Amino acid sequence: MDAISLENVSKSYDSVTAVSDVSLRVRQGAVLGLLGPNGAGKTTTIRMVMNILVPDEGTIQVLGRPVSDETRDSIGYLPEERGLYPRMHVRPLIVFLAALHGLSEAEADRRAREWLDRFELGEWGDKKVNELSKGMQQKVQFIASVIHRPPLVILDEPFSGLDPVNAATVKDIMLEMRDQGCTIVLSTHRMEQVEKMCDSICLINHGRSVLDGDLRAIKQSYGKNTVHIEFTGPDTFLQHPSVAALNRFATGVEAKIKPGADPQEILRAAVQSGAQINRFELLEPSLSDIFIEKTSNA
Amino acid sequence: MRKIWLVIKREYVTRVKTKGFVIATLMVPSIGIFTVVLVAFLATHRSDQNVRIAIVDNAGGLAEAAARSLSGARSNGKQEFAMFESIDRPASPEAVQQGLRDRINSGALDAYLVIPGDLSHPFEFHTKNPGNFALLGPLNAAANLTLIEARLRARGIRVDDVSELSRGADLQVIKVSKSGESVERGQTIGIGVGLVILLYMSLLMYGITTMRSVLEEKTTRTMEVLISSVRPAQLLAGKILGVAGAAFTQFTIWIVTLGLLLSYGAVMAAMFNPGSTFPKIHVPISLLIWAGFFFFGGYFLYSAMFAAIGAACSSEEDAQQLQWLAMGPLVFTMMIYWTVLSDPSSTASIILSEIPFCAPVLMPLRISVQAPPVWQAALSVVLLLLTTVGVIYGSAKIYRVGVLMYGKRPTIPELVRWLRYS
Repeated sequence: MDAISLENVSKSYDSVTAVSDVSLRVRQGAVLGLLGPNGAGKTTTIRMVMNILVPDEGTIQVLGRPVSDETRDSIGYLPEERGLYPRMHVRPLIVFLAALHGLSEAEADRRAREWLDRFELGEWGDKKVNELSKGMQQKVQFIASVIHRPPLVILDEPFSGLDPVNAATVKDIMLEMRDQGCTIVLSTHRMEQVEKMCDSICLINHGRSVLDGDLRAIKQSYGKNTVHIEFTGPDTFLQHPSVAALNRFATGVEAKIKPGADPQEILRAAVQSGAQINRFELLEPSLSDIFIEKTSNA
Repeated sequence: MRKIWLVIKREYVTRVKTKGFVIATLMVPSIGIFTVVLVAFLATHRSDQNVRIAIVDNAGGLAEAAARSLSGARSNGKQEFAMFESIDRPASPEAVQQGLRDRINSGALDAYLVIPGDLSHPFEFHTKNPGNFALLGPLNAAANLTLIEARLRARGIRVDDVSELSRGADLQVIKVSKSGESVERGQTIGIGVGLVILLYMSLLMYGITTMRSVLEEKTTRTMEVLISSVRPAQLLAGKILGVAGAAFTQFTIWIVTLGLLLSYGAVMAAMFNPGSTFPKIHVPISLLIWAGFFFFGGYFLYSAMFAAIGAACSSEEDAQQLQWLAMGPLVFTMMIYWTVLSDPSSTASIILSEIPFCAPVLMPLRISVQAPPVWQAALSVVLLLLTTVGVIYGSAKIYRVGVLMYGKRPTIPELVRWLRYS
């Protein structure tokens, strides 16, 4: 049974097609990265899974059942549109949101205290939401989306506004939840987070799914087509015909190799040109490269 | 059901705890108490100072009549006017008046009355403070009496006291109803108008509160978080009921304090002034029950309408532009209630009081003035309830579509389209 399955789902608003014929399966216990440029249709897809929007065509199942108000209760949702009642006190607000997800108020209060302590917000529980900083509100929002221990969580940009320490806490909690069998859908523009956390991805562009599957397999399918070179001396060898594109950094360059070309030829040319090679490494393309390639082609 | 209850509870608790709510709840009775105390104070301590007045009698022999009329005592036994002097047929009226004016300006005199030499000309009242309308009644009466006395004298009739001769008859209005007869001293109109104002104010005030409350989730962007665990209809129902709970709490406090104040006032009036003509306000229980029905029905009808506007908009500015849709029928009702008050059994009154948007105000008004047939009141209640259910259903539909719509304000054709979405 899949945690989420979409079959040929389409959705349009008036004249704009937001999602077109998207099919997607998220296996239980997986961490899926839902990627795509701004306006690609990610939020619409998520809202359909949440049964906030109804698809024009296609079917959506969550945990083996067609989406309904009941399936929604088993999802923890951190929407892109952040918002908390500004004049409510923090802990009562978390308790309210948790109780709406079915927890008893006593249990919700107990867990709220635990979570606030974990995020070092313990003494803020009796303060009003509008006294909190943006990052603190972000943490409160995250707590509210996972406090009822749902088997499936959908997190839209969970790291935005968080400092590195808190981002690491959120990441640790997500990995912990995954280890407990929770399925996580992570929608973000931070590719390095996706590479660290996700085992599969789905890339949406212009409302269509342009790439989806196991992250490892996707990267391998691209082969090791990139060389990372660190050197001193002349850089004339970089004009070698096998080099398709260059990306220069402070310490070196990343060269993309033309399909079918042999990277060893570049190394040979470099040595012959008199450059001193400190590092020469064959790499899989970064997710960021794949993202740019897939979205600029379409 | 549990979710609706949670939403109601949150709405109620956060609303009742706000400073604004506490202040408004305390303010209204405080203003009431203040007004009662102030009125009582003014009634007993009304300016001890008499108006010092002089009379310039250019006709001759009439100053005494005017002075006698002005010397009438007020209800609290104090003189209204203190006679300063009267000047009979002055040789030089202009010089005398100049002298009086100087004395007014120096503060030695408050006013003077000029009886014209030719009685077809107007009487003149010269005063520093023409804004004191309370003086005009006695002055007018004094001028009339003086004139009558002059005319009688011209026909050779001498009378000692014209006021005794010219005292008019009293007209007492008695209301006839099935429950018997009662002397009318304006209490029917008082109760009717009071009800209209009370219903109008509360429907408008709490309607707008409901609209703001429904907008809250959108302006604070809480909607998407909530919508992942509550159905829009549940949220809408919870919000309307939560605001209603707060409103009824506030109302109960007001009505109880008002009742206490009134009975306190009545007791005080009876103690200090046993023969007081203060009319006994008798509000029939049946009227209270009917008014209660219409208040609840009207409350939910209008809050559902205001809620629908809140649901359709994404900011308070937008909502303010659309709120006339709900305010319109209320304002219309306020503009026409006078027709119903003056002729409660006319065809127009009957039809108007059956229209659900007007009924919450107009039907209780009709009942208070002249009891209509029960079937008319009952039909009005049924129509009101059906419309309320319909409007709540429509609001829920608009809410369902409008919850996550941000950006531009929908047009009315768009709203109609939203109603058709399933």
